[in-house]
Amino acid sequence: MSWKPEVDEIKKRRELALAQGGPDAIAKQHGQHRLTIRERVDQLLDAGSFEELGPVAGTPVYNESGELVSYDPANFILGFGKVNGRRVIVGGEDFTMRGGSPSPAGLRKSVYAEDLAIQYKIPLIRLHEGSGGSVGGTGGKGPSLPGPVNAPSRFRSVAQAMATVPVATAAMGAVAGLPAGRLVASHFSVMSKSTAQIITAGPAVVERAMGEKKTKDELGGWKVHTKNGTVDNGADDEVACLEEIKRFLSYMPDNINQLAPLVESDDPVDRCEELLLEVVPRDRRIAFEMRKIINAVFDADSFFEMGRGYGRSQITGLARLNGQTVGVWGNDCKFLAGSMTRDGAHKARRFMELCEAFTLPIVTLVDEPGFMIGSQAEREATIRHGASAVLTAAMTTVPWAAVMVRRSFGVAQAAHYGPEAYVLAWPSAESGPLPVEGGVAVAFRREIESAADPDTKRRELEELLASKQSPFPRAEAMAVHDLIDPRETRPELCKWLARVQPLLPDLLGPSAFAIRP
Amino acid sequence: MTRIELETAGSVWKLLVAEGDVVVEGQTLFILEVMKMEVPYEAPHSGTVAAVSISEGDTVAEDDLAMEIRS
Repeated sequence: MSWKPEVDEIKKRRELALAQGGPDAIAKQHGQHRLTIRERVDQLLDAGSFEELGPVAGTPVYNESGELVSYDPANFILGFGKVNGRRVIVGGEDFTMRGGSPSPAGLRKSVYAEDLAIQYKIPLIRLHEGSGGSVGGTGGKGPSLPGPVNAPSRFRSVAQAMATVPVATAAMGAVAGLPAGRLVASHFSVMSKSTAQIITAGPAVVERAMGEKKTKDELGGWKVHTKNGTVDNGADDEVACLEEIKRFLSYMPDNINQLAPLVESDDPVDRCEELLLEVVPRDRRIAFEMRKIINAVFDADSFFEMGRGYGRSQITGLARLNGQTVGVWGNDCKFLAGSMTRDGAHKARRFMELCEAFTLPIVTLVDEPGFMIGSQAEREATIRHGASAVLTAAMTTVPWAAVMVRRSFGVAQAAHYGPEAYVLAWPSAESGPLPVEGGVAVAFRREIESAADPDTKRRELEELLASKQSPFPRAEAMAVHDLIDPRETRPELCKWLARVQPLLPDLLGPSAFAIRP
Repeated sequence: MTRIELETAGSVWKLLVAEGDVVVEGQTLFILEVMKMEVPYEAPHSGTVAAVSISEGDTVAEDDLAMEIRS
C-alpha cells in the first residue's frame, strides 16, 4: 500500500491553508481597501520567487471519525523570496484570522523570522498588520501554559537581527502591541497613509484606562506617527510602502559582513552645477534649500530621504556617489533655523548607527547653528539627546566627509564631523563657539550698554566677529582640508570616496556599539 | 490649482505677490520669518495667483494654506 492517503491529506491541508481566514474575511479585508498578507508578499517579491516555510502549520479540526473537516492555518506567513534578484526573508501577520493576534503556530512562525534572517545573513522584511497577545491567550480558550523561566528572550533575536542584517518593515493596517514593537525595531519603517494605524493600545483600552475617547486614526494615524519618529516614512498606500522598502534595500548590503552593492552610474564624477555658486544667500538671515544642494551633488535622483517628517531641522537619508552608497546628512535651515532639537538628535543618532552598522561612508552638509534653545528645548532635555548624537559620531569608525556649507557652531556641530573627517569649506562657511548674533550680546554686554549708541556698537562688534568666523583663516591654519568653489563639491567628494573605498573591507563586521530602535 | 502650504510655523515677513499676479517658476512669493531666519517660498510652477490667505505680520501655523496658484 502506498502513502497516497497521506499525500492527499498534505495536498488538502495546503489548499486549506491558502484559504486563509476564508472568503468572508478576505472580502472584508478587500472591502476596507487592504490587501491580504499573501497579496502583499506577491506584490513585494519577484514573480514566482516565494518559498514558503511552514505552509501547513496550523490547528486542524477533526470530526468524530478522525477525519479532517477544517483547518485553522497559522496566522503568520513566512518564507524566502527575492527582491530585484536578491534573496530576503519576508513575513507578516494574517489579519484575516483573529485580527492578526497570534495563534500558537502563528507565533512560532512569527518569532522565527529574525532567527532565519540571522542564520542566512540576508535582509528581513516584515509586513505588519495585527495586534499583540490577547487575554484569552494564543489558544483562544483561556491563558495558555506560560513559557518556561529559562526560555530565551523573544527580543534578543530582534536586537541581534538589527545588528546583523538590514531590517525593513511596513505598517499596512492597524498594528498594535507586539507587532508595533517589532515594526519599529527596524532600520527603515514605512506606514501606509490610507490604511495603517500604529497603536500601543486601541481605542477601547485607552478609553477604559484613561477616559480618553479617540479613534484609531487620532491615536496612531500617519499624521501622528510620520511626525514623531515612530516610523521613518509615510507612503500613500500599501503598494507605495513596498516600493519604499525595495528602494531602501537597493542601497544596503545583505549583512554587516558585506559591502553595499555598487551600481553602474552614468552621472559624471566631475559634474559641476552652476546653481551651487549662488544657492546660499550672502545675507546670513536668508534661508536656502539644502535639498537642492543634495540633489546637485549626489548621483542624479539617488537621494532617498528617511524621516523627513520629524526632527526636520536635520535631513538624513541614503544616496550614491559614483554608484557607491553613502549616508547623507544635512541641516534644513528652513526649520527652526536648522538647529539640533531632541527629535533631530535622535534621528541623527539612528542615522549614524545605521551607517556604522553597515559600513556606509557618511557625507555631511553642515549648516548647524547649535542645539535648539528656549524653554521647550530645555523641557525636552535637548542637551542629553544632543550629546548622545555628538558622542555617537565620535565613536564611529566609518569614513566621513564634511562640507561646511554655512554655519557650524557650538557643541552640536561636533556631531557633523566624525573622527578624521575629510573637511571641505565653502566660502559661505562660518564657524565658532556660537553664532555672533547671540554671542556678542552676552560677551560684550557691558561694552554695548556703555556705548553712546548701543545698537550701532552691537552691529559693529557683530560684523568684526563675523569676519573672524570666515573660512579663509581656517583654511590658512589647516583647520579644514580645503576651501572650495561650491561647484567643485561633487568632484571633490567623488575623489574622496575613491580614496576611502579601499578602507571599507577592513571595517566590515560587528560594530563597537549596538544599533537601537 | 496648486496649494502652497506652510512647512513651519512663523510670521509672514513679506508678501511679494497679490491675487491675479502672473508668476514664473522659482519666483519668490512670500517670506516667512522663522527663528530670526527669513524663509522664502518659491512658486513651484508658473501660473497665476488665484487666492492669497495670508497678510504681512500674520502669525501662521504649520500646514496653513498660504496661497493657491493656477497654472
